[in-house]
Amino acid sequence: MGLLTNLKDSISRAASTLFSEEDPKRIGIYGPPNAGKTTLANRIARDWTGDAVGPESHVPHETRRARRKENVEIERDGKKVTIDIVDTPGVTTKVDYTEFLEHDMEKDDAVRRSREATEGVAEAMHWLREDVDGVIYVLDSSTDPFTQVNTMLIGIIESQDLPVLILANKIDLEDSSVQRIRNAYPQHETIPLSALEGDNMDEVYDKIAEYFG
Amino acid sequence: MPHQCTNCGRGFEDGSQEMLSGCPNCGGNKFQFRPEGADNSPPTDTEPPEPPEPPGGNSTVAKTVGKTAATVRDIVGGTDEPSVGADQPETADSQIAAGPTDTEDAAQASARGEVVSPDELPDHTPEGDHQFEPAGADAAASESSADDTRDRPDLKELREELNNQFESVKVVAPGQYELNLMELYDREEYIVALEEDGRYSIQVPEPIQE
Repeated sequence: MGLLTNLKDSISRAASTLFSEEDPKRIGIYGPPNAGKTTLANRIARDWTGDAVGPESHVPHETRRARRKENVEIERDGKKVTIDIVDTPGVTTKVDYTEFLEHDMEKDDAVRRSREATEGVAEAMHWLREDVDGVIYVLDSSTDPFTQVNTMLIGIIESQDLPVLILANKIDLEDSSVQRIRNAYPQHETIPLSALEGDNMDEVYDKIAEYFG
Repeated sequence: MPHQCTNCGRGFEDGSQEMLSGCPNCGGNKFQFRPEGADNSPPTDTEPPEPPEPPGGNSTVAKTVGKTAATVRDIVGGTDEPSVGADQPETADSQIAAGPTDTEDAAQASARGEVVSPDELPDHTPEGDHQFEPAGADAAASESSADDTRDRPDLKELREELNNQFESVKVVAPGQYELNLMELYDREEYIVALEEDGRYSIQVPEPIQE
C-alpha cells in the first residue's frame, strides 16, 4: 500500500510539475572537480532552505552522483524565484584511482571511487543533455580556466541555448584571478565569489534570479 | 653451425640429433638454419620483421594468425601437422626443412635417412619414434602458446572492442578511465554502472525498452 501511495504521490507531483505554470527551473551546477560546486550548492541550500545538499571535501570526486535540492525559493526585491538545484559530479576527461591514493585512501576504495566518479560524469553529461533548464558553471579562480573540459562543456551549454552563469569561485585564495576567467569566456558574465566564506553571495543570488527567474 | 637455437644462440652441426629433443642449454625448441658462409650475426638481425611482432602483444597480424590457427585446429580436430604450418608459418623450423644443401655430410645423411636410436635421446624425450618429432613438439608448444595468447588477450580484445563501440568511456585499467565527454553527451542511453572486465550497464531510452 505504501508503495502504491508513494507511486500515486509521485505521479501527481510529476503531473502538477508538468502542468504548473511556475515550474521551478532545474539548475545544474557544473564545473571541473574541486571547483567548489558542492560548497556552493550547500551554501545556496542552507541560505534558503536550512538544509545541506551533500558532503564537501578537498578530495576530488567527493560528489559522484548528481544530488538534487528541490524547491529552493530565493527572494530578490520582494520577488520569489523557485529553482531545483542539481549538484553534479566534477566533469573531467580522465579519472585515475592513483590520484586518490595521495589522500590516504586504500587502493580498493580508490578504485571504487574512481569507478563511481566515472559513472557520475556519465550521468552529469546525460543530465546536461535533457534534464536541466539552466547552468551555473563553477570555476576555481585560482587555477587556469582555459581547459579542454571547460571549453567543451561551455560550448555544449551554449549550443543548447541554456542560460549560463559563470562563477569565479575561491576568490578568498591568494592565487585567485577573476580576470583570467573573464578573459577565457568573454561572451559570458563572470561573477566572483567565495562559496566557502560566503563572499559576494548577494550578487550571486541577484544573478540567479535574473538568469533563471 | 648450420642450426642455431633462437633462444640462447647455441649452434648445432647440420644433422645433429642433440637438438631433436630441444636445446640442451636452454630447452628451447626453435632453431634457425644458418648455412655455411652466412654471417653469424644474432638471429634478430637477420629477421627483423618477424620477431618484433609478438612482444607488441596487440599486433593484429599475430591475433589473426592465432585465430586462424585456432579455427584450423578446431576444424582439423587436433591433428599435429596442419597446425605446424598454421601456427608457425614463418618460424625457422620451416627453414630447416627447406634449407638447401649442396653437400651432405655423414651426419646429414644419417639424419635424413636413419631413425634416431632411443639411446641417443635424453631420458625425458617422449617416444623418439620420428625424426621430425621436435617439429611436433614445437607445434604442441606453439599450440599452447597460441592458447595462452588467445586466452589472455581475450579480455584485452573484449575491452578494446567495447572501447570501440562505446567510445564514451575507455577503460584503461581497473580504476583508470578516459572519458569522451562529447560522446557521453551525444548518447541517448547513459552509463549507470561500470563493471569488471570493462562491461557497462547502460540506461536505455524508453522507446527502445518498449
